[in-house]
Amino acid sequence: MEKLILGLCPYCGMGCRFYIKTLNGEPVEIEIYEGGVNEGKLCPKGLTALDFLRHNDRLTKPLKRTENGFEEISWEQAIKEIAEKILEIRDKYGPDALGFFSSARCSNEENYLLQKIARLLGTNNVDHCARLCHASTVAGLAQTVGAAAQSGSYDDIPKAKVLLIWGYNPAETHPVLMRYILRAKDNGAKIIVVDPRKTKTAWFADIHLPLRLGTDIALANAMMHVIIKERLYDKKFVFSRTKGFEKLIKVVEEYTPEYAEKITGIPAHLIREAAVTFATAGRGIIMWAMGLTQHITGTGNVKALADLGLICGYVGKEGTGLFPMRGQNNVQGACDMGALPNVLPGYQKVTDGKRVAEIWGVEELPSEPGLTIPEIINKAHEGEIKALYIMGENPVVSDPNTKHVIEALKELELLVVQDIFLTETAKYAHYILPAAAYAEKEGSFTASERRVQWNFKAIEPPEEAKPDWEILRMLGKALGLKFDYESVEDVTREIALVAPQYRGITPERLKRDVEGIQWPCPSEDHPGTKRLHVESFATPDGKANIIPVEFKPPAELPDEEYPFMLTTFRVVGQYHTATMSGRSKALTKRWGEAYAEINPKDAQKLGIESGEKIRIVTRRGSYECKAKITKRIGEGVIGVPWHWGANVLTNDVLDPEAKIPEFKVSACRVEKVM
Amino acid sequence: MKLFINLGRCIACKACEVACEKEHGISFISVYEFEDMAVPLNCRHCEKAPCIEVCPTNAIKRDGDGAVIINEEKCIGCYMCSAVCPYAIPIVDPIKELAVKCNLCADRRKEGNLPLCASVCPTDALVFGEINEIMEEKRKRKAERIVEAQRKAIEKIALFG
Ligand code: SF4
Ligand code: SF4
Ligand code: SF4
Repeated sequence: MEKLILGLCPYCGMGCRFYIKTLNGEPVEIEIYEGGVNEGKLCPKGLTALDFLRHNDRLTKPLKRTENGFEEISWEQAIKEIAEKILEIRDKYGPDALGFFSSARCSNEENYLLQKIARLLGTNNVDHCARLCHASTVAGLAQTVGAAAQSGSYDDIPKAKVLLIWGYNPAETHPVLMRYILRAKDNGAKIIVVDPRKTKTAWFADIHLPLRLGTDIALANAMMHVIIKERLYDKKFVFSRTKGFEKLIKVVEEYTPEYAEKITGIPAHLIREAAVTFATAGRGIIMWAMGLTQHITGTGNVKALADLGLICGYVGKEGTGLFPMRGQNNVQGACDMGALPNVLPGYQKVTDGKRVAEIWGVEELPSEPGLTIPEIINKAHEGEIKALYIMGENPVVSDPNTKHVIEALKELELLVVQDIFLTETAKYAHYILPAAAYAEKEGSFTASERRVQWNFKAIEPPEEAKPDWEILRMLGKALGLKFDYESVEDVTREIALVAPQYRGITPERLKRDVEGIQWPCPSEDHPGTKRLHVESFATPDGKANIIPVEFKPPAELPDEEYPFMLTTFRVVGQYHTATMSGRSKALTKRWGEAYAEINPKDAQKLGIESGEKIRIVTRRGSYECKAKITKRIGEGVIGVPWHWGANVLTNDVLDPEAKIPEFKVSACRVEKVM
Repeated sequence: MKLFINLGRCIACKACEVACEKEHGISFISVYEFEDMAVPLNCRHCEKAPCIEVCPTNAIKRDGDGAVIINEEKCIGCYMCSAVCPYAIPIVDPIKELAVKCNLCADRRKEGNLPLCASVCPTDALVFGEINEIMEEKRKRKAERIVEAQRKAIEKIALFG
């Protein structure tokens, strides 16, 4: 029998819908759903989203590490042993010897349950890979505008008159969003792209600013310097809706375009032009992603952009906004669910957990903020974290300084990995639990524009694989917690009770309104919120805080031994650690090979020809791939897509505020492989 | 109806290639990426199609929507269509060893659907429609930009005299 089931793309944070066609319960093809935020459009990853589902490599049985390698064991036995070991470690070393990695690839319900388990066991050591992508956004926006989310909707993009796209390359990472961006351009919007590479997004720029790696604050400050000097800021907005403008004036005073030119390498006249174009457009949106956030000054970078948007009055109105663009299908939701060490669901601080404790029916919850992913890895290395439970993450490939991560995992007394494939990380696990993939389960997911959508089940999981939420329910019960949820919908309903932004978002509504609901949604008859900060900001006094920041150079700069700068990026046809996309033939055929971009002048100096094998070496490791000679990248810079293991090279030094690693800047040297 | 290439909108995402390959087993559209732009290229279904003219067995015909279609029953694999095509489109089908090319998704059109590549293309670099309508739409947008620029200029004169 043929069936069409509405699907939700498991890849990026855009939130695209499509139909999954099944024949006798087996997936056959993706069909176009003429609606949703994607308006029927799809990128190559969405089009191949069925390819990995029935792959032979799927995990289908729980596995336990023994002397003879991994052996199959029953679910009952696996859950029992894991629960006993977790409790034993907690009782012996205290709850903070436990760590949990939740997942931006899993549903809201699953993230909710995992953080609940952690907290009921007495620890806030729960985090997920937003740490590696938008932790600095969460910290920077919380301090400035009070809400760590995209302030407007995709629909605001075509209404803007200027788009400032900073460290973000939607042409590769959110191809479907380019539709909205080009529509803005059709409507006469100017496009300013800030990126050290001439990305495919920069093809569409009116002004492209190829700054030196890690000099974002100097550039933003110089733009604000011009805007203030030329009195182009929105006086009414600044005085009625913000605080801290005077301090900003003082800080940006010294950042003349000429001074910034020396730091950023961008000609002063271009900085002026960009500043004037941005401030005089009348309606503007700032979009950013990893090129801005993954720096030791990541939080500062975000604050600088927020300041820039605020002084121009580009927040809370039609065609304006601060848009941190989310990379994973549920990174927004995982944050909203409190899979973060310092906040409970709905961004309620752990230091003030009374309300949540009451709903959960417990006396108290741990009130000290827990450890972040890099800190958990470090503490595991030092032997203080004894047990790590990983749901749907692959830190061995996704985290910086791979060698260090592997050493840390080997130290653990208990490593549990719950995933759909035997990832590079799962190889080090004591127990591997086979999970259901997106099309094999139900639950809600929150896209970049705060849009919560229901994911319908299309097919059965292979053999014994189970939805993550069911695994967590079993684990919760085995740990002695009151986890008697009958269905995933029960969890959705509990989320509505606990997270204020999700108050009116019920499973019934989500299944009926398949195009989703944008939070905040305070009641069941509320239509959802297209735009945040319309009348006041989510800060205690309702005013936005303008927080000036000073430029600080990246942690590693080129020297004699490592004369090049190294940065990482992604390609459209692969996704992160390639666990899923790497198993699609249509994708690997087109995007199957690691390479590094190098400028023709540098290649000539080093005697490297296009397609030759090179070795890139940093203080942390070395990596071999083919050279791709291109003017897209500036002199002195090497760019590598990170899907194929390039994080052996990257720097694990952290932004002190958000604890996000500086993936985007390292010093390296390049050798020809003979 | 034509499958029109909106030059300058392609982001080289290759969704069209992947979609075509899923539908037909081979991709009949190719995306060429350069340093500063990309061009998707498939059969142009030419009005005066040289391939139709040259085919010795009359294997190539035009259907009701104007699509140029190779009839594999009649094709003898001489590749004269490939030789004369101004865009180097007809290729060898690796299994049938006959000339094949884009048929504007004939099966999909029969069911009232768009050609798949145009249906998925995120940026409308590929659109399926009447050329005159597509041009009218584009021209209107150009006119809007002229008006906008004009208004700005007038505003400036009013401000600074
Ligand atoms: S789908 Fe559209 S944008 Fe993507 S490569 Fe094809 S023509 Fe270009
Ligand atoms: S195959 Fe070539 S000549 Fe024939 S219609 Fe297509 S583009 Fe024109
Ligand atoms: S119209 Fe159909 S057959 Fe032709 S290139 Fe597009 S997807 Fe392929």
